[in-house]
This record gives sequence, structure tokens and C-alpha cells, in this order.
Amino acid sequence: MSHSLWQSVLGEIELSVSHATYMTWFKNTELINDAPANFTVAVPNIFAQRQFEVKFDSQVKAVLEKNGVKPDAITYIVKTAAKRPVASRETTHHLPADRLVAPAKKSIPSQSQPVSGLNPRYSFDNFIVGSSNDLAYSACQAVAQHPGTKYNPLFLYGGVGLGKTHLIQAVGNEITKKQPDTQVLYISSETFVNDFLESIRFKKKGFATKYRNVDVLIVDDMQFIAGKEKTQEEFFHTFNALHQANKQIIISSDKPPRNIPTLTERLRSRFEWGMSIDIQMPDFETRCAILEAKAAQSGVELERETVEYLANNIKTNIRELEGALNQLLAYSEMRGIPADISTAEGLIGNVRRSRPQHLTPKQIIDKTARHFQLSPAEICSAKRDKHIVTPRQIAMYLLRSELHLSFPKIASELGRKDHTTAIHSVEKIEKAIKLDFLIREQVAELRDKLYV
Amino acid sequence: MEVIVTQENLSFALNNTSRVTSTKAGLPILGNILLRTDKSRLLVAATNLEVAASHRIGAKVTKPGSITIPARLLNEFIQNLPKEQLTLTAKDNKLHISSSTSSSTINGSPDDEFPELPTIDDKKAVKYTITASDFKQSVSQTIIAASGDSTRPILTGVYWHSFEKKLYLAATDGYRLAERHITGTSSSVNAVIPTSTLQEVLRTLRDETVELDVLFDETQVTFRLDEVEITSRLIDGNFPDYRQLIPAASETNFTINRTELIRVIKIASLFARESGGGIILNVDSDKNTLTINSIASEIGENSSEIPVVSSGQAASVSLNSRYLLDALNVMSSDEISFGFSGKLAPCVIHEITKSPAYKHIIMPLKS
Repeated sequence: MSHSLWQSVLGEIELSVSHATYMTWFKNTELINDAPANFTVAVPNIFAQRQFEVKFDSQVKAVLEKNGVKPDAITYIVKTAAKRPVASRETTHHLPADRLVAPAKKSIPSQSQPVSGLNPRYSFDNFIVGSSNDLAYSACQAVAQHPGTKYNPLFLYGGVGLGKTHLIQAVGNEITKKQPDTQVLYISSETFVNDFLESIRFKKKGFATKYRNVDVLIVDDMQFIAGKEKTQEEFFHTFNALHQANKQIIISSDKPPRNIPTLTERLRSRFEWGMSIDIQMPDFETRCAILEAKAAQSGVELERETVEYLANNIKTNIRELEGALNQLLAYSEMRGIPADISTAEGLIGNVRRSRPQHLTPKQIIDKTARHFQLSPAEICSAKRDKHIVTPRQIAMYLLRSELHLSFPKIASELGRKDHTTAIHSVEKIEKAIKLDFLIREQVAELRDKLYV
Repeated sequence: MEVIVTQENLSFALNNTSRVTSTKAGLPILGNILLRTDKSRLLVAATNLEVAASHRIGAKVTKPGSITIPARLLNEFIQNLPKEQLTLTAKDNKLHISSSTSSSTINGSPDDEFPELPTIDDKKAVKYTITASDFKQSVSQTIIAASGDSTRPILTGVYWHSFEKKLYLAATDGYRLAERHITGTSSSVNAVIPTSTLQEVLRTLRDETVELDVLFDETQVTFRLDEVEITSRLIDGNFPDYRQLIPAASETNFTINRTELIRVIKIASLFARESGGGIILNVDSDKNTLTINSIASEIGENSSEIPVVSSGQAASVSLNSRYLLDALNVMSSDEISFGFSGKLAPCVIHEITKSPAYKHIIMPLKS
């Protein structure tokens, strides 16, 4: 009731004074007590208090009278958010704080509080660890235990749908769970770009505050920042500000820093500063574990052979793997038939058909040659220069792994008579993929190109 | 209004008040200076609704009255007049200023729109009289540790509070903390004064100012120095209970010559830019030396040694050289003492004087 009374007083006053006056003095005032003997109005500061006492008192009284309220006198008090109690001071123990005073509580900047942007669904508990991602997993766990100190920045890279987003969000969720006061901000690099553009275009403030006051900054899909000079510069400054303050930075990308074209040198060197880890396609066993875990989440238990069938047939991407599983489950539920291997076989046909299967040995050789800026003739030639030999071996490896050609056939495709060369080459690349990061990258890239 | 004042007095008053004017849009009158006769004095005042500054200067008032004038123009104009008597006449919202050699007219506006200046009730307020030199030293020793981060407003001020019959000033930005005991008190005070207000008071202090009065009530603080009065709002909120963070005793203690240490840290900081200003202090309690190391992989590295008087065990702590220099530069004693407790516990720095009043605490860097 007192609230609506004051609203109508304000409404009336707003019409009779200038906008600037209203905004400066009358906004943020409120009626605390409407008893005529003790009529109290709260104002934002001492200046307003004095202004009301001396200048606006009669005006306020007049408007109140019109509204049928006639207080004896009006008391104006300054609003204080908190009473100031004398804090207890007997404690002598030292807080194990890295800061003397805990960082700002979330409730203080109530409007400007950035949302962390994390999806609580992603946690360490539901991440399946296998040999292809255990390094990344342990690094992320270490960061979640000691944000800002262990690996800073932490840079995760790997192909689509391999769990980068899952892992980095899990770090954020874990930190928030352990220390709810920590400000975690998860964004995609696109959000960063948009925010930055907006801050320039509309001269918006708060860009730096949003990004520089967090304790943990997680940026997903960093590759999209490539080529955007100004944004990179801004990110560079944000990065430095946070890194200086020992704030944790976690970045994910589909390529390692040095392979992102048009990433400025200073950003690249910074990204490589902490720890860069790649996440690879999970091996067969991990894929099986993922399928079983996902199926269990949906309350379904799959037969071993169904799981193996799915894991065997979808090898490139976990998202696709989950998609196939979901499709299988949905299909079996709708039709009321068991989710077994025969249903899977029928469905996987669909999934696989989504990929062009008309790959020919010639295409593989051509594309490999183009990738290494060689001519197909050079690949098939007898030259033994190193820059030709490796691409040739990769071509053989791809012919074997993608088209399952026989070794003699591989040899003949490349103009070789002896199939043992092909065996040697395929084995060599298989081994190199495990050991040599560059080869692994190139093979993955080439494989992507083949299916474009 | 018609008054006669000296250029010197008016110029000083304008110089100090024009700093607190606000040019922010909203209320344009805040960019103006108020001139108003007050018995036989001229009141010169300005406010930005955080702080209000008012000067009363001696004047020969022939006709009482008031006017407000855009601060910048008036200030620059008066600064450039020769030192002589000026006659100010306000009529029809215009101010005529005439001296023996020049005469000008500045358009102003009436004072109705000008905010009322807050006043403090002397009877209700808690009042301290502090010597100017004590005030200057205490404020400059604490203000350096205050935070500039506006997301946590409470740390952007200096915390004036009574504790065990003493008045203390304290400030922290979360990484360092400064505490200074200034005077005794029998009343209870608990106020956080914005750093900008304190800087304003420091700037207004003249060499000839001997002492000033500080008056607190629950929502405002007023500084009175000679004919100047500066009133400010207080920062709303509770200052963190910082006392529990000050270690009662340290594992390693040593005393060192302050100027020598400043010199060495300056050298070390040249090699500390890469590490964000981090330098490593090693105390060897057997040899009684302090070794300071800093390494910049691209530039080079530095290592210096200073003799100290130490007790306790050997220690090695990484500290921000800028914070150290800030702290050492505001201390006054020749010898100062350090206390370390391991790599991560706060480092405590004291002045060595007959009655040590100042304490500075720096959090080590994690390395």
C-alpha cells in the first residue's frame, strides 16, 4: 500500500520537474514508513537527503496531501545496503587464502553478474576416459584442483565431437562445485567476438569488466578468432590481464595453435605457453565404453555384439556415435522391437550412407598429392626424395585404411611391382601416427579432405 | 551580488573546487561553481554528488546574493589574472568581473537548481582533530593498497575504524593490505571513505595547514581545514574483517636498510617484467644476507645481495616488486623489518620506530 502511494507521488512529481532533476533526485527513493507520525523516505545518498530536506520537502508534502496523506513531518534517511555491525575480531587463525580477501561475492554486482554459461550436464563423472584422451582428462582434473597454478593456459585441441567441450565444461563445473565463489565464464570464441564488436559499435562499457574479472575463463572453439585482427588484439590483452593475475584460462580449438592460420604470433606463443594437449579419436574399447555408458543413461542395456557393431562401424566422431545410438534406441522404442544387432545393422546403413562412399584409389592419390603440393605423377614415380617418400607412404596407408585394398593392389596403384613396399609403408605410417604428431595431424587432415 | 575579493584567494578556491565538478550529462548544473555571499565571506562551492567542496574566502560584501558559473571557464579566467583586487558583480544571471586593467562578463545561471550542500551536525558527529602531517602520512601510506576494481566498491576506499581505543586506517585490494594507527579514540567509528575523496583532501592541504578536523556520522564524512570544507558520502557496505589475516608472528624475521632495499628492488624489477613483476627474496639466516633474484628469459637475469640482521629459519618468497616498492616508498624509517612464514603465507613489513604505527602486508606470488 505504501508502495503504491509513493509510486503515485513520484509519478506526479515526474511531471512537474525536469527529467534530469527527476532522474538525479527522485529515482531510487522509497517510502519506508507511511505512519503520519513517523513518515520516512529513504534516499540514495547524503546529497539527496539534504536536497529533499531543503528543496523538495514542501513539494513532496503538497503531493502527499493531494493523495490524502498528511504527515506531521517527513524524515529523509540515507539508504544503506548493510548495517555496520562491529565484526567479531577474536579469530586469529590464518585463512589459507591466496588472496587476503575473498574475491567479490556473486551477490554483490547483482545485475552485472555474468552467467557462467556452463552446462551442468558436463561433468568429469560422465566422461569416458580411454588411452586417446587420458592425458587431456588428467590435465583437466589437475586444473580443476588447482585453477590458475597448474597448467595455465590449458589448450585442448582435436577434431569435432571428441569431447573437448565436455572436458572444458567439466573443469568449470568442478571448480564451481568446489568453490561456489569462483567466477567461471564459459564462452565460445564467437560470443567473445560479438561482445567485442558490440562494445565498439555501441560504445558499451563492461566488456573489460566482464572478461577481466573472472577467475576462470573458458573459451571454446578458439579457431574462429583466426583472421580477426582487432579481436585477437583484445583477446591478447584479456589473456595477459588474466594470466598476470594467475587466473585460469582454458581454450579449446580444432587445431593446435601453430596450425591455426592467421593467428597472430603473440597469441600463438601465449597459447603454447602453458600446456597443449590433443584429444584423439577414441579407440575401439573406449567407443564401446561410451556406448554402454550412454545406453545406461537412457536406461537401456545393449547386447555386447550390438555395442561392438556400432563401435566398429562408426569410428570418426563421438557425436556421430551417440547419434547412431540415439537413433537405434528411438527406433526400437517406437517400433517396439529390441535394440539388437539386426536393428542396428538396418539403421547403420542409413548413418553410413550419409557419407559419400564413391572414393576411388585415384582420388586418394590425387588428394594426397595435392595436399603435399606434389603432382600425382611424382607420388607414383620412383623418386626417393624425402618430401616425396612420406606422402607416398601416407597415400598407401590411406588406400589400406580407407579402401581396404590388398597390398599388391596398393603397390600396383602406385606403380610398384613389389607389394612388400606397400606393407612396409603402411606399417611405417601406422607406427608414425602413434609417435609423430605431425604425421598424425596430416593424416587426420587428409582423411577429412577425402570425405569433403 | 557585489563583492570584492583578492585574485589569490579566489584563484585558490576555484582551483580546488573546480576539481570536484562533474561534467557527466544528467545534471548540467554540476559543472558549475556556486558563488554565494555568506555574511562577510564569499562561499565558493562545487559538487559531483559524491563529494562536495566548499571554500569560504574573505571578501568585502557590498550586496549579498548568489550565482553559478561554468567551472572551467571561470577557473581558467581567474588563474590568468594578475594578483590584485577583483570586483565581482552578479546581475541578471551574468557575472561581471572587473580588475584595474580588465573587465569581463561570464554568463551563469541562478543557484536554485544547484544541489544543497550536505552539512554535518557537529553535535551528533564524531570529531577528530589530526595534525596535517599525520593525516598526510597516514592517508598516503594506506591509500596505495586500496583497490581500483569497481566491481567490489567496498575495497576502493580506506577503512577508518576504531579498535581497542585507537583509530585505524586500513585498505586492501585483496593482494596487499596497509594498516596505520593514527590517533586515540574513545568513540566508535566504522566508515569507508572513497579514495577519491581522500586524494582531494590531500591535494587541498596547503603547507601552512597545521591541523584538520575530521567529522563522521553514519552516512557522511566532513574534512575541515582552515576555511575549506570537504564533505563526502561513505562507501556503503562492510569492510572485510582483515585483522584475522595479519599473522601474529612470522617464522623468519629480518631487518634491512630501506633505501638500500629500494635501490636493489628497482634493479631486480627491470628483469621482472616478464613474470608480472615477480622477484624472489631469499633470506639466509646463517650468513645474514638477503638475496634478490629476478629472471627474464629473454632479457637476462639479476641477483643482488644485501646484508640483513635475521632470525629464524631461511626462507624464499616470491613477491611482486611493484607492491614492494609502493610500500617501501611510503615508509619513513631508515630501517624496516620483514616477516616471512613460508612460501604462501602473507609477508609482513613494519617500520622500525619508537612507536610503530604502520603495517603493510603483501601476499606472495605463487610460483
